[in-house]
Amino acid sequence: MRRPEVKRLVTVLMVMAMVTLMTGESGDASTPPTTGPHGAFFEKVSYFGLFRARRWMVFLTLGLLAYGLMFLYQRYSPPVRKRIRTVTATPKRLVQMRSSRFAVYAVVIVIALSIPHLVTQSYWMYLIVEQVGVWILLAEGLNVVVGFAGLLDLGYVAFYAIGAYITAWMTGVLPAPPLFHHAIPTLWVIPIGVLAAMVVGIMLGIPTLRLRGDYLAIVTLGFALIIDDYVGNQNGITGGGEGSLTVPHFSVNLGVWHYHWGLNPVPYYYLCLIFVVLFVVVFSLLEHSRVGRSWVALREDEVAAESIGINPLKYKVMAFAVGAASGGFAGVLSAGLVGNINPTMFQYQASINILILVIFGGMGSIWGVALGAVFVQVITSYMDNYQPWGFQINDLYMYIGALLIIMMIFRPAGLMPSRRRRREIKDFEETGEGHLDEVLTGDEI
Amino acid sequence: MTDAATTTETVFDVRDITLRFGGVVSLRNVSMHMNRGEILAVIGPNGAGKTSLFNSLTGVYEPQEGQIDFTNRNGRTIAVIGKKTHRIARAGVSRTFQASRVFSALTVFENVKIGAEDHGGIGVVGAILRGPATRRGEHASDQLTLELLDFVGLRKDANLIASALSYGGRRRLEIARAIATDPDVILLDEPAAGTNPSEKLELAALIRRVRNERNVSVLLIEHDMKLVMSLAERIYVLNFGGVLAEGTPAEIRSNQAVVEAYLGTSTNEGAA
Amino acid sequence: MGFAHFWLSGFDQIRVSFWAYLFVGLQNGALYAMIAVGYTLVYGVLGLINFAHGDVFMWGGFGAAFLTRGILGPSVATGWATVGLVFAGLIMGGLVSILVAVGVERVAYRPLRRRHAPKLAFLISAIGASYFLETLAGKEFGYGTNLFPAQVFPVGQTMFTVFNTPVRTLTIITVVAGAATLVVADRLVRATKLGRGIRAVAQDSETSSLMGVNIEKTITLTFIVGGALAGAAGFMYSLQSGIEWNSGVELGIYAFTAAVLGGIGNLRGAALGGMVIGLFGSFAVPFAFEGNTQWVEIYTFLILIGVLIFRPTGILGEKLGRTA
Repeated sequence: MRRPEVKRLVTVLMVMAMVTLMTGESGDASTPPTTGPHGAFFEKVSYFGLFRARRWMVFLTLGLLAYGLMFLYQRYSPPVRKRIRTVTATPKRLVQMRSSRFAVYAVVIVIALSIPHLVTQSYWMYLIVEQVGVWILLAEGLNVVVGFAGLLDLGYVAFYAIGAYITAWMTGVLPAPPLFHHAIPTLWVIPIGVLAAMVVGIMLGIPTLRLRGDYLAIVTLGFALIIDDYVGNQNGITGGGEGSLTVPHFSVNLGVWHYHWGLNPVPYYYLCLIFVVLFVVVFSLLEHSRVGRSWVALREDEVAAESIGINPLKYKVMAFAVGAASGGFAGVLSAGLVGNINPTMFQYQASINILILVIFGGMGSIWGVALGAVFVQVITSYMDNYQPWGFQINDLYMYIGALLIIMMIFRPAGLMPSRRRRREIKDFEETGEGHLDEVLTGDEI
Repeated sequence: MTDAATTTETVFDVRDITLRFGGVVSLRNVSMHMNRGEILAVIGPNGAGKTSLFNSLTGVYEPQEGQIDFTNRNGRTIAVIGKKTHRIARAGVSRTFQASRVFSALTVFENVKIGAEDHGGIGVVGAILRGPATRRGEHASDQLTLELLDFVGLRKDANLIASALSYGGRRRLEIARAIATDPDVILLDEPAAGTNPSEKLELAALIRRVRNERNVSVLLIEHDMKLVMSLAERIYVLNFGGVLAEGTPAEIRSNQAVVEAYLGTSTNEGAA
Repeated sequence: MGFAHFWLSGFDQIRVSFWAYLFVGLQNGALYAMIAVGYTLVYGVLGLINFAHGDVFMWGGFGAAFLTRGILGPSVATGWATVGLVFAGLIMGGLVSILVAVGVERVAYRPLRRRHAPKLAFLISAIGASYFLETLAGKEFGYGTNLFPAQVFPVGQTMFTVFNTPVRTLTIITVVAGAATLVVADRLVRATKLGRGIRAVAQDSETSSLMGVNIEKTITLTFIVGGALAGAAGFMYSLQSGIEWNSGVELGIYAFTAAVLGGIGNLRGAALGGMVIGLFGSFAVPFAFEGNTQWVEIYTFLILIGVLIFRPTGILGEKLGRTA
């Protein structure tokens, strides 16, 4: 195992073997344990109707090919990479320039507005709102907590649940009667849901945000699990496992102007889009303000930040509350869109899914997170719907798990990291110095 | 010189503090005071309790016994013990760290600006609405930042990432950031550690300027005797958690007990 | 049903079936203790919560279950065959778990250590490894599968009766095997050179390496010890409830609670914490509202949160200490 080339070859082959296994046949209860792996390696599959070969042969070939390519890449690529860098340098700089930023925003808005005209099937439109739109909101919210303030919150889904359940409650579709026994129109629940989530964020944050990073993660996970268990059980209040009755769809009744969101997903899309833009703008303003800078300082070096008068608990709780706002709204939106609110929507795994979106897109980067959310959710929906190579929805997490590990090793900054984050990570890795670590662990001097 | 704490204006009044960690006593009945406008040094062999004293003044450690009073330039006095570090910082006590803890991934400018900004209150609403008050605050902190960068000589490096600075540059940056909070007193933790002789001279000059031009009292812990003797106006010597001696540099230098405590004092003076 | 009535009837139920609850508690406690050791050792040495440890346990369970089924088939073992098969199951479970644990260390943690990655990266990688192991097991063995090993002794067999309460063979085996493996692990960590290396690295990795302790070997050993115990626990758990792809999740959290309760980094604390959580979980059953056992989970999580907020050093304190 001494020579690096041999090591790399072995690694490539082992990775290929794992991929073969992952994409192979699934086992089940009736078959012995070797059926799945056996099928994965020895099944004869036809490719492009041209030839049939056993899977292990195909993957072995692919593996060797990959190895060869890597070898060539290392040997001959530097000049090529240099060329690519010089060519893309100008466009890159253009995009990062202040003035062109508005152009980029404009283009994005135009694209976003035209999507309902491009996507004709109602089914896909619905998915875009439910799977992508809502999750962009959730990811941006968690980004404030994890990316801006550096707090690993594994219970973020709780804010989403609160928004949704408050909506169900106040519109009168839960077994528990709404406040003052008066159901209110769904649209008016929006500020209430947001506020409720923020309040819970503050209440949850004050006792727990004094903990150091890994313990905070566990405590928030614990809360998420408790809520998961509890909500599913309170049949009298929350409707238990079956959840609520159907939440009425949004409608506006302002005397002069009537509008009712019905079954067509397009109006929901526009509502969602408005709020996505709103939250993105607010979060961006925060990022480049005194508050945002305090968050960065805390993240970089909590001890030093304290020494210049920054109150860690206050700013951390603030991050929680701000992040919770978008989660709460996402809950209200989902309630109005989907109708039935039940506990399966809010299991703790959802928190981790949201975290994955944030990490993939680049923690702390508003654009990165949005793009990451779109990318992952679209691929997930696609795979769930078309199920290539016998894909089951649960298998998705296998890929996500592997992807997380790979990302942490090779590109921890994410897909499109904020410039600051890239500097932080680069700085940390090069020198082993820097205080990303201690910010999370809260170590003393 | 006696503890004439009441005649000149007192910044720190430390009365009989004792600090224990489990079975170890770090500070034992330590009393000291600091006058406004002076450059005060705390020296002593390793393990004497200098850092413990330092941390007690900034709220990192909480002595189990005794009292520490801090008086700002407006005459308001607060009790330090029991308060959180950031509260004490906001009251007017700034500090630097032994290994310069600048915010590595931020620019030099941003580092100081964070110090200059006011961190009280809930900034969220102001940050979003960006009203005239917020904008005025931003402008003020920008101005102060530039002024301080000039003061420490880092103006030309303003847009450089802090981690790209030299060791001495980071030290100066930390000082600039610490002054940005407009403190009454700045505590310097071994500011000369790892510096060469010419850097030491520059550092001493800077410290004097901090006191003279920015009106900030200075307390420093230092091992470098030459620097201490030339810079400090008054010195406390700690040993084994207690105050061994106090006085002007001349008095301390001729104090037999101090010389004995250090043993290697003569070699210290020759070195650096 | 009044509040007082609820509590009184709960205590009454305990009074009536005390021994039954006790034995169940001991049995579960042994399992939690064994799994908790893995969490506590890895945290002590690396300062890392090994999210994937519960899945290490699960894979060990599957491995042991499959092996025993392969050996015994549908028959039922008795006498010496039982003893032999129990050993075989424990060992097989341990071996599979060791493989998985070391694999996780090599793939998910070591490259990050090489790169001086921040703590957050380790946590995320751990979560990724956990997801991967869970779904791979689900995919290969079936998401709906609940696998029991071969009948190494007749199902539900009771060995003897104590205080009018039958004591099942499974309980005896679990407690005995648990105690034995925990004692061995404790001896290993305290008395052997390799074990002392673990404690040294946990306290101060830099100095340890200067003193000649091979850090990488020590870390690998930590994962091996934790894995072995988890795998053995996996076998015994499979005898009780069968193994599913997500069996590691719930037990992992309970075991982690136990590790924190006993003082993270402290092996004996983990064992003690495991017993406490196991007994608590059992005796709390009469206090579950409407007989819904999810309440026991809630109580346990509340303990976890309570310990972390109010006494993070646990009952016995962070003895092993941790590296930066």
